Amino acid sequence: MKHDTSLALEYRTEENENRILGFWLFLGAEIVLFSTLFTVFFTLSHRYGNGPTPHELFELKGVLWETFLLLTSSFTCGLAIHSMRLGLKKPMMTFFIITMLFGLGFLGVEVTEFITYVHDGATIQTSAFLSSLFTLLGTHGAHVTFGLLWGTAIMIQVKKYGIDEATANKSFIFSLYWHFLDVVWIFIFSFVYLKGLM
Amino acid sequence: MKQLFPVKHVMGYIFSLILSLVALAVVFFDMSFAAGMTILLVAAAIQASLQLFLFMHIDETSSKKTLYLNIVYALFVGLVTIFGSLLAMIWGIV
Repeated sequence: MKHDTSLALEYRTEENENRILGFWLFLGAEIVLFSTLFTVFFTLSHRYGNGPTPHELFELKGVLWETFLLLTSSFTCGLAIHSMRLGLKKPMMTFFIITMLFGLGFLGVEVTEFITYVHDGATIQTSAFLSSLFTLLGTHGAHVTFGLLWGTAIMIQVKKYGIDEATANKSFIFSLYWHFLDVVWIFIFSFVYLKGLM
Repeated sequence: MKQLFPVKHVMGYIFSLILSLVALAVVFFDMSFAAGMTILLVAAAIQASLQLFLFMHIDETSSKKTLYLNIVYALFVGLVTIFGSLLAMIWGIV
């Protein structure tokens, strides 16, 4: 079968198209991973022991900041890929840098939140609710941390080599990962925080 | 400058912010658990689809059917895990 050359640059070779397909398969596995963590959370979320309840623990302000920061970084990541497809390296880099900064901001708020929890005596060992909460949030936060390192490494490559088949492919795959983390956050925002505060 | 901010992306972003605010309503308005969960589920599902179709461009190549099937299957496994566990361990129906 002849390879479709009318597609965007990141799909231009068969190998690169397969890399993107492979990454989607990985995201399928990630959906299952986070589903199991949500399962654990939903199963244990009423086992407070001597620890705090969601109403006593959660603070809406930080959560709203996290949501805003991650939604915006997902948006600017989409704009970075859009610029890439127009062949504009400079705006692509700018949007990527903004994406990373918002991601870093998200992580900063989350770390502050964790420190506040632990300071208030709500640690991962306090109750089953908190164990499952920290596991779910921590796994997501670890993904964001890895994404920041990965995204930075790709930005360095784009800066060095420009937008070519290889860097476009890597950047696009990274954007899939970043948007996926936003999707996971939407579910954490809705079914951990908002449901907990209902 | 204008070409850097395609209308579709900007609208998608604004729409996802609005959906987050809609979801937030469950905290501020007194409503039943079922009503609250329905709002959260619908808002989250729309937001997730926005990301998939608008920002992740899931539907732009000839392999899109494979991608849909992959995502649907992953969601199926995930939902069976979640609701199967809830049935057996929380709701006590099974």
